[in-house]
Amino acid sequence: MNCLQFENALPDYLEGARTAEQQAHVESCSVCSSLLADLNLISSQAFSLRELEEPSPRVWNSLEIQLRQEGLIRQPLRRPTLHSLIFGWRMAWLVPAAAALVIVAGIKLYQPAGVGDNQPVAKQVAPPVTPAQPATSAEDRDIMKSVASRPPAQVAAYRNDLEQANAFIRDAQEAVRNNPNDVFSQQMLINAYEQKQMIFRLAVDQSDDGQ
Amino acid sequence: MSSRKCATNIAVVLMFAGLAFSADTVRKDLHFKVGKKPMISINNPYGPMVVKAGAPHQVLITAILHSDKVELDQSKSRNRVDIVSHLLPGADQNTGMVEYEILVPPDANVTLHSDTGRISAEKLHGDVIVAGNDGPIEVADCADGHVHVRTLNGPVSLNNVHGHVEIMSVGGDVIMHGVTGTMVAVNSNSGRIEYDGDFGEEGEYAFTSHTGNIEAVAPAYASIEVLARSTNGIVQSDFSLEPKHAPFIVKSANSLSGTLGKAASSVKLFSFSGRIRLKKRQN
Amino acid sequence: MTDAKRPHSSKLSEAEAIERAKQGDAEAFEFLYNLHKRRVYSLCLRMTGNVASAEDLTQEAFLQLFRKIGTFRGESAFSTWLHRMAVNVVLMQLRKKGLPVVPIEETTEGEEEGTVRKEPGAPDERLAGSIDRLQIQRAVDELPPGYRTIFVLHDVQGYEHNEIAELVGCSIGNSKSQLHKARIKLRELLRINRTEKAGRR
Repeated sequence: MNCLQFENALPDYLEGARTAEQQAHVESCSVCSSLLADLNLISSQAFSLRELEEPSPRVWNSLEIQLRQEGLIRQPLRRPTLHSLIFGWRMAWLVPAAAALVIVAGIKLYQPAGVGDNQPVAKQVAPPVTPAQPATSAEDRDIMKSVASRPPAQVAAYRNDLEQANAFIRDAQEAVRNNPNDVFSQQMLINAYEQKQMIFRLAVDQSDDGQ
Repeated sequence: MSSRKCATNIAVVLMFAGLAFSADTVRKDLHFKVGKKPMISINNPYGPMVVKAGAPHQVLITAILHSDKVELDQSKSRNRVDIVSHLLPGADQNTGMVEYEILVPPDANVTLHSDTGRISAEKLHGDVIVAGNDGPIEVADCADGHVHVRTLNGPVSLNNVHGHVEIMSVGGDVIMHGVTGTMVAVNSNSGRIEYDGDFGEEGEYAFTSHTGNIEAVAPAYASIEVLARSTNGIVQSDFSLEPKHAPFIVKSANSLSGTLGKAASSVKLFSFSGRIRLKKRQN
Repeated sequence: MTDAKRPHSSKLSEAEAIERAKQGDAEAFEFLYNLHKRRVYSLCLRMTGNVASAEDLTQEAFLQLFRKIGTFRGESAFSTWLHRMAVNVVLMQLRKKGLPVVPIEETTEGEEEGTVRKEPGAPDERLAGSIDRLQIQRAVDELPPGYRTIFVLHDVQGYEHNEIAELVGCSIGNSKSQLHKARIKLRELLRINRTEKAGRR
């Protein structure tokens, strides 16, 4: 047996299929025994890479949000931290948005046959539905209460931002009501609620910290 | 007093003027040793924060406290450093101000919050998470991580940022130069959105607003699939796009749908009543 | 919501966590995530060579797992089930990007030449005992994507050739030969790195 023949047989040799001839060659050939030793070393060291690194905390944070959004986690949120300002807020606020989408999806079930997805459905026969309202004025009052002790300019800014967010929600809801299958309108509604939620978190989290 | 001594005194005063020292101002220097990819979190209601990449395995923080009505709460556990500017009773926007300069390892993940101060992060490779109220937010020369920005009304500026980008603003304008990534998403209410880049990296670019205008400038060689729509505003494009089927009815003045080049990246520009413009860069 | 931490109770077993996760228990999800995150993430990182992609794929793998956890009946080990899901998520991503999942079987021309050179009196340049984890990690990251996939799946993650063949869609023989070539390539890379290092001293 020569070195080339041994090397060609190496894949099976390393899997445990060895002949006496191959064994004898390894014992007598320093080059092939060196190659074999190196490949075994590489293979054994590779195992150490199995659990080498750890993902950053944002992976779990994003995952938890998604699990809550999908209803796989069915527990109330814990008290927020600064990090949760970005990641920990979506579930409660997306419920009205999700509810709005479910209700308008219900309108679709009553469409007469032949109506295409891109056609407005406002005129179709549908059961009376009450679209989900944006977060009520009680939530707005909570937000304003959280920032009441801040400088007047900041309080005025929050009030203005709330009005903008509520206007966005109203416009997006109307768009979804008029076009329940329109992905653009659905996305706008989600975006609108996310903005409202951001205002809530910025107001509430900072009011808890040292004010 | 001799003129020379007088000049020296003036020089000393001028030197310290830049640091905005007053009789009550206190400077604190903090130093932490950290491992790989540390987590650094700073919550500073009033005052600017500037974060830059420094040497590996250490976090250097210089904080200028403007009065005794604010103190620093610091904690370190394992690979995480938390700093909070704790406002004491009676503190306001001026007396509660703390100015931060922070050097972190380039691979650090940083989380920064300030209500009113300017927040700046540059040359970082970890995640950058920023929340502000009305202070300007600037992120520059960051790559490989996630950049998340939340602001109510502060202007946001991203320069040369590559990675996963998510920005949310109510009234603050969002200006992006040379920003690319697998996902670049901006959600604005009345703030305008401006993008000047090449929409590269086969990414998904989604800019949405309620009333804010959206303007994107791209080169002639851009490779994009475009979907743009404004319910009550106008949509304009400098490009002649290859028509493509859209998931909504395309009305020429309010929407467009098409591709450019190989359509490697997806670009969605949606507004309720803002004007949308897709412009060709003039070289 | 807090960052993922060590499981709160060391007494919580994986089986208990799985049952509680099926009921929607947040801590149970977090426990399972912490138990397996390193292996899943390391797999994704080794296969993609990119931190951001690896984190996104890790998230996707756990998301798919947790969506289906209600159907887990314990017929196989949970870790095996999770891991197989993670591998599929990564392979799908590689295919989506047009990256080679497994190298195409080469002609025999290269194999006839071989890598072993019998040179009388040549020094024995063993690697044995001279590589550490960081060196091999760097070398793996330098492997071409197709070789890297097979090497990571077999030598790092412990899959057998028949499993690899099923996962990536190649023959068992191809899997074996490509693994061998990946190891040979790694040996070259490690030798080059060692020579460069010695030259800098």
